[in-house]
Amino acid sequence: MRRVPWIALGSLALALGVWLAGFLAPFAGFLPGCAFKRFTGIACATCGLTRSILALGQGHWREALHWYPALALLAGAAPVAALWDLRRAWRGEPYPALPASRALRFGAWLLLAGIWALQVARGI
Amino acid sequence: MEVPFAASARALMRPATAFTEPLPPLGRALVRMLAVWVPLALVDALIMVWRALQAYGQLRQSGPPDWLERLSGADPEVLWEVFRTLPAPPTFGRIWPWLLLIVPIGVLGTWIHHAVWDHTGLWLLGGLKGRRGFRTTLVAEAEVLRIAALGTLIGLLGFVPILGTVLSLPLMLLAGYLWLFRGFALAARHGCEPWRGVGATVVHAVLLGTCALGLAVMVLMLLRTAP
Repeated sequence: MRRVPWIALGSLALALGVWLAGFLAPFAGFLPGCAFKRFTGIACATCGLTRSILALGQGHWREALHWYPALALLAGAAPVAALWDLRRAWRGEPYPALPASRALRFGAWLLLAGIWALQVARGI
Repeated sequence: MEVPFAASARALMRPATAFTEPLPPLGRALVRMLAVWVPLALVDALIMVWRALQAYGQLRQSGPPDWLERLSGADPEVLWEVFRTLPAPPTFGRIWPWLLLIVPIGVLGTWIHHAVWDHTGLWLLGGLKGRRGFRTTLVAEAEVLRIAALGTLIGLLGFVPILGTVLSLPLMLLAGYLWLFRGFALAARHGCEPWRGVGATVVHAVLLGTCALGLAVMVLMLLRTAP
């Protein structure tokens, strides 16, 4: 039984969304900015994400990497994930369950905290 | 005969016992969600677009509001020039047929979006112990979004002049509760503690919603309270 490549389709939709967002770059100055940063003075976990998306939409990869490295890296890895998903769907294999390992969950939390810390440390 | 949405209201008031029935098949849960939520979302979108077109038309005539001048820090004359050259809005009659297509896609997209991020949040909090997979999350989300459609119905009150402004805070609180309410369905269907389910929705909000949701809420509030 063939399966739907949801990750590949989702990546395609996101890529389209990011490309369209690139056209909004001239209006970026009208965005209200991060409320968290305004109140606390430090970047929130997603500070720089909008600017990174707008840069990606214009094909400015270096700029996107500067504003939100995790997004640029994720975007770079998306084609690989999409190819893996297409292969999985073609073979009719189900998605593997998320690992029950506590260490992996802890690692994911550390990664998220690390991304935030990086944005704060760089003063984004 | 039971009052429409009475079961949804009961579920919202007693979330801990709202999902004790056997898990329905995915197809049935999805159809029931679409049957309840799509018409309400369509009415909501129609009113919102109509209000947005009105607000846009007024904006073109009256120029930028003071808060936008202060917020953007742009030269007021440049800002005025931008507003003067804004194109005329399309008529409501040209837009509404598109909503018949966009709203169902938006509803399905919201369902999948919530499922993906809540499932990830649940995994991060160790709530996937039962090994009941992503399909269970999809069913739980369909069930809970059908119930939460009551919030869309109540939210229509936000469009009523004056009353909408008065109700803006209670409606925001309701929206917040409905967001967390998904966690009870996730917990019940995955067999974990409610705090993990509710926590998953919070993780979802923090991970993805900090900026986008805040911006969307601000725009929605402006549209609803616009004269």
